[in-house]
Amino acid sequence: MRIKNTFDSLEKSIKKRSAWSGVMLILVAAITLEATGLIQYFFATKGLQEEAERRTNSEMQQVSGEIENITYSVEKSVQSMSWIIGRELSHPDSMFIYIKRLMEFTPAVANSAVAFVEDFYPSKGHWYEPLIARRENGTLESIVLGSESHDYFKSSWYTEPVRTGKGCWSEPYYDESGAKTYVVTYAYPVWDQYDNIVGVCAADLSLGWMDDLLSSINLYPNSFSKLVSGEGKLLACPVDTSSVSNPLRFSTPVRNIGWSLSVGIPEESVYKDIKRTSFLVMLLQLLGLLLIIFILRSIVNAQMKYKKLSDKKEKMESELRVAHGIQMAMLPNIFPPFPERDDIDMFAFLDPAKEVGGDLYDFYIRDNKLFFCIGDVSGKGVPAALVMAVTRSQFRTVSAHERSPLHIVTAMNNSMSDINRDMMFVTFFCGILDLLTGHLRYCNAGHNGPLLIGKDGGIRQLPVIPNLPLGIMPGMAYQEQETDLVYGEAIFLYTDGITEAEDNDHRLFGEERLKETLTKAKGSAMDKLSKLKAAISSFVGKAHQSDDMTTMLITYMNDKNPDSFERHLILHNDIRQIPQLAGFIETVAQDARLDKSLAMSLNLALEEAVTNVIMYAYPQGSDGLVDIEAVIRKDSIDFMVIDSGKPFDPTAVPDANIESALEDRPIGGLGIFLVRNIMDTVKYERKEGKNLLSMTKRI
Amino acid sequence: MEITINKSDNVTTVRMIGRLDTTAAQEIAKDMAAVEAETAGTVVLDCSEMTYISSSGLRIFLTLRKEAAVRGGKVIVKSISNDIRQVFMMTGFLNLFQIED
Repeated sequence: MRIKNTFDSLEKSIKKRSAWSGVMLILVAAITLEATGLIQYFFATKGLQEEAERRTNSEMQQVSGEIENITYSVEKSVQSMSWIIGRELSHPDSMFIYIKRLMEFTPAVANSAVAFVEDFYPSKGHWYEPLIARRENGTLESIVLGSESHDYFKSSWYTEPVRTGKGCWSEPYYDESGAKTYVVTYAYPVWDQYDNIVGVCAADLSLGWMDDLLSSINLYPNSFSKLVSGEGKLLACPVDTSSVSNPLRFSTPVRNIGWSLSVGIPEESVYKDIKRTSFLVMLLQLLGLLLIIFILRSIVNAQMKYKKLSDKKEKMESELRVAHGIQMAMLPNIFPPFPERDDIDMFAFLDPAKEVGGDLYDFYIRDNKLFFCIGDVSGKGVPAALVMAVTRSQFRTVSAHERSPLHIVTAMNNSMSDINRDMMFVTFFCGILDLLTGHLRYCNAGHNGPLLIGKDGGIRQLPVIPNLPLGIMPGMAYQEQETDLVYGEAIFLYTDGITEAEDNDHRLFGEERLKETLTKAKGSAMDKLSKLKAAISSFVGKAHQSDDMTTMLITYMNDKNPDSFERHLILHNDIRQIPQLAGFIETVAQDARLDKSLAMSLNLALEEAVTNVIMYAYPQGSDGLVDIEAVIRKDSIDFMVIDSGKPFDPTAVPDANIESALEDRPIGGLGIFLVRNIMDTVKYERKEGKNLLSMTKRI
Repeated sequence: MEITINKSDNVTTVRMIGRLDTTAAQEIAKDMAAVEAETAGTVVLDCSEMTYISSSGLRIFLTLRKEAAVRGGKVIVKSISNDIRQVFMMTGFLNLFQIED
């Protein structure tokens, strides 16, 4: 018990541990799988980022190149205008011509002007700034600016070139008077022939077109571009960027004017696809993992189930092996079974098709009589084996106190019909062989008829009345038969598994082969059946045995002349059966060579004894049997009338007075009187619930 | 067993053919009850073809005999075999019946 508990707890802990290790294994697999996903994601985003940078840079290079081109052309135009004006200072009114020329050649310029130093042309006043503005309809308007209200000497676009002597770009500003838009101004000093700065040429570059240019940088959804001046002033930004948080930023300088072009791309625009893809991949991986777990679980479960099943099967098989042993031990299986006797030689075998089967045989000797039986339970396997066990124990129980096969079969049928819920029936043959005389009484219950094998090997069928198998109909009236075996004659009993043994082509072994084999077989009962067994197995070959096979061979070996022989008759308690008794007595009389008168007397005595039983032994309407036994000896015949009715001793009845006068004589009472008068001795005995009336007549 | 019953004048003749065992005795009981009514006269039981008799048959004979005694008739048993005569002797019936060959 303790050992079992230890094993149980060990098994539990192993189960627990293996469950834990299973969980850990799955966790590790999940982590590895997801980590792989994350690494893939990391490298993929890095690649995407590089790709975005590369694409953006190339786009920005192009845009900044364009800006450079435009600004460069403005610079060059202003510088050349400045050079021309330096040469033409003497014609202040012709300035418009040069400005106009610049405007015509450089359409990006919104306004262009020349602003001269203080009082350069006295005739023009303190300020002189001829300017041409490009109006919205495209026409050019010439204006002269420069006044107290428009004091360009304070504007940085003027002061810076004058101070540095170099061209310079202004910060962007809103041009209220001219272009009504944000502009940047390029201004370049004008030198006279003595290299004095006499003025500044300027051109306003409208920034409106830059928005269009920057809008063309649109690599990713929601990306934006910005152009920022050297001082950080926003020159162009075509979209509202306030909603974009934490974008990827790339920038490049616009070289000649110190601006900076930058592009921002919202992360989600770059990574949207990869994020979605990665999410899907990881989801699929998880699903896959779950699927694997599910599959593993099913496999493990199936394995455990299979193991349980196979454990169960093994257990069942071992139980069946034990059951086989028990079943075989039920049957007499030591041969020769009666080594001390020289009047009988017998052998039997039972080969179940499965571990256990529904065939049976049994035999034993009591009072020099061999009680034997063979049977075949319908069906196969365990149910049939259980019925077989019941049948065998019924045979032993019932036959222990019966002397007639009919009684045995009848009692077995009644008790088995009562308990037969599953309609299983048993074909059964029961015999009692008197080993002193060779007299064989037998009763068949639906079994195939046995064969009789003569000393010379000649085979004939034992005449049998088929009757119904056991367990079908309670109260079934069976019939008993009898015959005499002579020295060397054998009775061969078998179940249909023998004749119906099939080879691979489903041919049956059959009765003809059986008879042929038995005729040829010589030697002891064991030799003969061994030869039969060999013949069947060589016929069957490798085919599967489909039915139980059972045989029994009983050879009568008593060569002494019997000093007596028996005859039997069994009647039901029905007065209409009395005529059968006459036939029986006739047989006995013939066998004993009695004269007619004596035969009639014996008939009369037996009829009186039997009538008495039929009329009074059993309750009215119930079925009962009367056995009549005759043992014929050299100088006497012993009769016995047996019934299982209520106890009654006919010998205790006083004799009728045959001397009395007619009016005093009773009508009945003559039966017992006749028996006593005819027979030499009459004895009554009550034994094992039976009335036994023995009568002897000397002959 | 077969029986034939013949009535002429005051004599009823019953011919009994075969074995008069217990079974037969039950079979002919009804017919014999009719014969009982004739026992005021003479009843002849012709047994020349009767081969066997048991106590049941003897009871029928005795019943007739008793009835005849009451009614003042008579019963004559005719032509019984030696074996049946033995039974009659054994049972004292030889003294009760008028036996004729």
